[in-house]
Amino acid sequence: MTVYRCEDSLESIFTAIYLAYEEKRDHMDTCISLTDEPILFAEDVYVKPDQEKMNKVIRSLHRIFGEQDYMSLCMALASEDEGKAQAVYRTVVDGLSARRRAGHLFDNLANDEVHRAFAIARVVGREIGHLREFVRFEELDNGVLYARIDPKNNVTAFLMPHFSDRLPQENFMIRDGQRGIFAIHPAGKQWYLFYAGEQETESAFRISEEEQEYQELFRYFCHKIAIEERKNLKLQQNMLPLRFRRNMTEFRDNK
Amino acid sequence: MEFLTGRQEMPLMEKLGILANSAKYDVACTSSGVDRKGNGVDMGNCVAAGICHSFSSDGRCISLLKILLTNECIYDCKYCLNRCSNDVPRATFTPDEICRLTVEFYRRNYIEGLFLSSGILNSPTFTMELIFRTIWLLRNQYRFNGYVHVKAIPGADPEVIRRTGFLVDRMSVNLELPTAEGLRTLAPNKHRKSILTPMRQIQNGITENRNELVLYRNAPTFVGGGQATQMIIGATPENDYQILNVAENLYQKFDLKRVFYSAFVNVTGDKQLPALPGGPPLLREHRLYQADWLLRFYGFKAEELLDEKRPFFNVMLDPKEDWAVRHLEQFPVEINKAPMERLLRIPGVGVKSARRIVAARRSANLTFADLKKIGVVLKRALYFITCSGRMMYPVKLEEDYIVRNLTEEQERIRFGSDGMSYRQMSLFDVGSFEQPVTAADRIQAAVGQL
Repeated sequence: MTVYRCEDSLESIFTAIYLAYEEKRDHMDTCISLTDEPILFAEDVYVKPDQEKMNKVIRSLHRIFGEQDYMSLCMALASEDEGKAQAVYRTVVDGLSARRRAGHLFDNLANDEVHRAFAIARVVGREIGHLREFVRFEELDNGVLYARIDPKNNVTAFLMPHFSDRLPQENFMIRDGQRGIFAIHPAGKQWYLFYAGEQETESAFRISEEEQEYQELFRYFCHKIAIEERKNLKLQQNMLPLRFRRNMTEFRDNK
Repeated sequence: MEFLTGRQEMPLMEKLGILANSAKYDVACTSSGVDRKGNGVDMGNCVAAGICHSFSSDGRCISLLKILLTNECIYDCKYCLNRCSNDVPRATFTPDEICRLTVEFYRRNYIEGLFLSSGILNSPTFTMELIFRTIWLLRNQYRFNGYVHVKAIPGADPEVIRRTGFLVDRMSVNLELPTAEGLRTLAPNKHRKSILTPMRQIQNGITENRNELVLYRNAPTFVGGGQATQMIIGATPENDYQILNVAENLYQKFDLKRVFYSAFVNVTGDKQLPALPGGPPLLREHRLYQADWLLRFYGFKAEELLDEKRPFFNVMLDPKEDWAVRHLEQFPVEINKAPMERLLRIPGVGVKSARRIVAARRSANLTFADLKKIGVVLKRALYFITCSGRMMYPVKLEEDYIVRNLTEEQERIRFGSDGMSYRQMSLFDVGSFEQPVTAADRIQAAVGQL
């Protein structure tokens, strides 16, 4: 048995998949692991991330399985799940050996590994969907829009295309408070990611004068739009889980 | 602009409160149906699935900035909070205020766009004109490219409605009440005909526009997100069968995108309206929405679900279960062979899981464990399906038996929630335990029977 030891990055995992094919391994007897947990009678191969190999894999996945399924694989890899690399690897193997066409990569849900990758991608996809709804920007005194998120998975990069399409002429940034990642969009330009590490920067931000007023207005609106006779806090919580609320304007002061 | 009515001094906060409060009973307010990429310059894009940005304490989504332009109204509809004989604070937004609120909320990602309705100020045409100007300002001066939904005011000049249609993503005309009689008694100023006329106009406009777009790719779109409507449920004595037939007709003859149902809330206390001691008829509303989905996505017809003899939905079973137990001759369905249409009719199988089943069974013979992975609700489906010729458990294909099993759990929840249940009585259920503790009791408890 061969075990490819990777670090937790797209580059590293795709390089491992490339190597598995290049070295013609028996795919049923090979796995990709993100940890250092030893496996009995296994041959360890430490993967050195290689940008060129990653690009080749990305290009083929894109060509064979289409944009949507490729994005699902990327979403699965943005998860915090430890088995994600193995699940994605086996899904790709299944897809290639069964010659699945674009949009059909996840058809074989009866296969455990395919289902695993599908389920992981679904969880991440839902979180992206939630954050697209629940991200709240605040205007800082220099006119920049700032939002903080605390997602379970590493989804910041998936949010940016949506928001930069929506607010092309705004300077805005989204900060992943858990991972110290800033996603920055300068007005009219391409967005980029920026790793700031652990430094505490939030105290340096001051909100603009108008900001307070609009926050109040929105809170009041949310309060007024509810129908008292239909009150249903359980339903509200199903639709809007509590963990998102600490970063949301309309809930922040209700604690 | 000359249409302000002398309340400019009212603070924005107060206006927003009054006009959001007046708009909250309108339910036709999703942000779906249009996929429009941003143009790289103006603010805003649209996502076909719609995006809910928040949820209020009643669990309904806050997707659009849902407000009235004004809550001054010359009409006197008995069910409406803003009827002219009701003594409520009145307010009117200026177009600039609406645009500013929309744009500022939008860039903070609070909302997906604007939903603008209005009371009738002076005349329907005058009001529609105001709405048109507001949206024009929003689109052309504030350069807002997000979602906009407006109400078409029945009785307004068709030309104004047409021009507004080219600026907005969705338009709706409220049907208000399912039947013409209901409308006559409760909304004396509105007529069925004047409601259906703009609806037909918008429908024709959309069809024409579609043909135009085929010819000229850059022609302006007219109401790209389709039109919707809403009905109030429970204010008038119609039965579910009538309501569902009306909805089906609207979908077929008027090409509507959505019909919304709004459980009646008695806000005016008018004596012609039913008092609702148990709260709004939410379960009934829920059943209607379930049936609505069956009509649109599952290939059901109204007369399959209900008929003259059984005009109301089953309280215990959802409409699909109810249909299935009455048509047991069509079950069990073999998961590995049945066509899509038949899979869709199994309780516990939705559109997504049916699609996944069809895709997955190409590469493997599905078992019950696989169905669980796919997302089928086996709790409901197991009575109606076989996998490779076997049922999950040995169950009888018999109406009473299945109904008993399907409702058992639900019943416990429903009766348990208000303190009443079918469970075994216990010693502590006897009433005497609820009497207050007296001083004598307390002494006895401390020192015993000494």
